[in-house]
Amino acid sequence: MRDEISRVVADCEIIEQVEVAPHVFRSVLVEPTIARTSKPGQFVNVRVCECYDPLLRRPFSVHAVDPEKGTFSLLYDVIGRGTKLLMEMHVGEKVSVVGPLGSSFDVGEDPSARHILVAGGCGAAPIHFLSDWICKKHGCDKVTVLVGAKTGTALLCQAEFVAHGVEVKLATEDGSFGFKGFVTELLASHIEESKVKNPDSAIRIYACGPMPMMREVARVCGEQGIKSCQLSLERTMACGIGVCMGCVTKAQDGCCSHHPDEWHYSRVCTDGPVYDAKELIWE
Amino acid sequence: MGMNLSVEIGKIRMKNPVTTGSGTFGSGQELSDFVDLNMVGAITVKGVSLEPWKGNPYPRTVETPAGMLNAIGLQNDGVDNFISQKLPFLRQFDTPVIVNVVGQSVEEYAEVARRLDKAEGVSGIELNVSCPNVKQGCMVFGTSVEGITEVVQAVRQATSLTLITKLSPNVTDITAMARAAVDAGTDALSLINTLLGTAIDPWTQTFRLANITGGLSGPAIKPVALRMVWQVAQAVDVPIIGMGGIVTGTDAVEFLLAGADAVAVGTGTFINPKAAVDVAEGIASYMEKMKIDDVRELVGSVKTL
Ligand SMILES: Cc1cc2nc3c(=O)[nH]c(=O)nc-3n(C[C@H](O)[C@H](O)[C@H](O)COP(=O)(O)OP(=O)(O)OC[C@H]3O[C@@H](n4cnc5c(N)ncnc54)[C@H](O)[C@@H]3O)c2cc1C
Ligand SMILES: Cc1cc2nc3c(=O)[nH]c(=O)nc-3n(C[C@H](O)[C@H](O)[C@H](O)COP(=O)(O)O)c2cc1C
Ligand code: FES
Repeated sequence: MRDEISRVVADCEIIEQVEVAPHVFRSVLVEPTIARTSKPGQFVNVRVCECYDPLLRRPFSVHAVDPEKGTFSLLYDVIGRGTKLLMEMHVGEKVSVVGPLGSSFDVGEDPSARHILVAGGCGAAPIHFLSDWICKKHGCDKVTVLVGAKTGTALLCQAEFVAHGVEVKLATEDGSFGFKGFVTELLASHIEESKVKNPDSAIRIYACGPMPMMREVARVCGEQGIKSCQLSLERTMACGIGVCMGCVTKAQDGCCSHHPDEWHYSRVCTDGPVYDAKELIWE
Repeated sequence: MGMNLSVEIGKIRMKNPVTTGSGTFGSGQELSDFVDLNMVGAITVKGVSLEPWKGNPYPRTVETPAGMLNAIGLQNDGVDNFISQKLPFLRQFDTPVIVNVVGQSVEEYAEVARRLDKAEGVSGIELNVSCPNVKQGCMVFGTSVEGITEVVQAVRQATSLTLITKLSPNVTDITAMARAAVDAGTDALSLINTLLGTAIDPWTQTFRLANITGGLSGPAIKPVALRMVWQVAQAVDVPIIGMGGIVTGTDAVEFLLAGADAVAVGTGTFINPKAAVDVAEGIASYMEKMKIDDVRELVGSVKTL
């Protein structure tokens, strides 16, 4: 799933800054190459200030693109200094961005496949781009998005998903909105439902969210015999471009080997962030 | 008359005095979307060992004020894979390649050097006797006169390539290590490697690195690096590659003034993938402003107040 495309370093003008939910912001930036060449699941690495503290860039998934206008957007939770600095930047200011980086979701060629997308918290950022992409390629009627959050006000992008015209199901841990419980419980029941309704269609699962959610998605997919389960992981990154070897996760050597010793540390920034669940080794 | 930016490190001729810090530039290919690899003075690649090393568990990096800690544990595919998979790409550029070498025993260091000596497209060997993140091996050699002497002598016999010994800052007297390496036959020195440190999360009350300790790099270490380069330049007569926190052209000039013949950009590449080339251009524009024709005039020319 690694895409061999040219990546850029560019100073991008911010043309929009909006708070879309409590502590969650959307920034729209101008960069025609990134807007044109990004694929869903890929990310950009943003220098949030012209300073040495914080020193390192911050990675964010590409949330949406507008190739005609040459713009792309980020959707992020303000959790620390870097995200606060980004949120505080004004429209008209420029920020240095490297991208697009990493692997992307593979949506396949099968026109009859059903696509189930699972977003936990800010994992909705790349899932939004992916939903749009699959809609354009295979049709929105093939897509279901399951959105989960701790509470109703933290559910992201549901209006956008509805606007795409895909089926949307919501889950909150406190039950304030939609299904009460984890989005992964919703996933298990939705897969069963889909198998009954469309017995001849293959099911493809895509997920982005916190690590415990990803692990559970992988488990549910295994249990349900789902062949295609793609997960987008997050790791602390120093370089984002594959040179420091910092952002690693344990992965099987070759395809799907199950020998306990045949594993290596894979770079999430370059070999990922999107992995086939079968490649990953959980600890 | 044009400006001269070229320097010599042993038999290696660099078209400008900037190379890359080992472990911050991969094997060069990763950066080739961002920089023209013909524009750097030399490419110093990630440390290679005799057999593949898996590296340390995650988390391996933490950001610190104006710097970062890393405990990668020298993950690499081994020297044979390096030669067959990575080196062919680098051969297409008109830029010398310096291979950073690590080992767990003197014999391993020597064997890696022997294999690189036979490979086409390697100009120099940088002996990493100073990595702080691997339990056995390098650090043990790099922090004693006996250790450095033994490993440098063995590698010297194994190769006729330019031999650069990379010094650890985690010692009481770095000049003693520098002299030992020179006496054992090194052609040049590079310094500094990372400073041993750690980071703790007060809220979870745990270390932030799985390995507990890691190596500090970035702008935070520049004053220490400059001091050590200056001390070593006073103590020995071989060429020096200075590094530690270089981000801009003037950072690099400070190292040259302190006595380095060339410099390396490490962590700077993480914040700016073009940093190595930008630093080389920054040195050139500094020289233009200061009306200096030859970069070698700068070397060691710092004055006291
Ligand atoms: C490939 C990739 C894509 C990402 N996409 C998005 C996105 O689209 N939207 C979004 O909101 N975030 C995304 N992230 C996470 C984002 O990079 C971090 O939230 C951001 O770097 C935090 O920076 P900060 O300076 O605000 O926080 P810091 O001050 O660095 O950290 C604040 C606190 O959060 C913790 N923390 C930092 N980074 C992470 C992390 N990655 N996971 C869990 N805890 C962390 C720290 O340990 C600390 O306790 C992505 C990460 C990766 C690797
Ligand atoms: C992520 C990372 C990996 C490194 N790996 C190596 C290595 O394999 N061999 C080595 O000799 N030095 C290694 N270093 C040290 C750098 O080459 C350099 O000496 C040090 O980081 C100081 O320079 P800087 O502040 O410009 O980064 C590494 C540094 C970092 C940050
Ligand atoms: S963040 Fe440096 S290799 Fe992935």
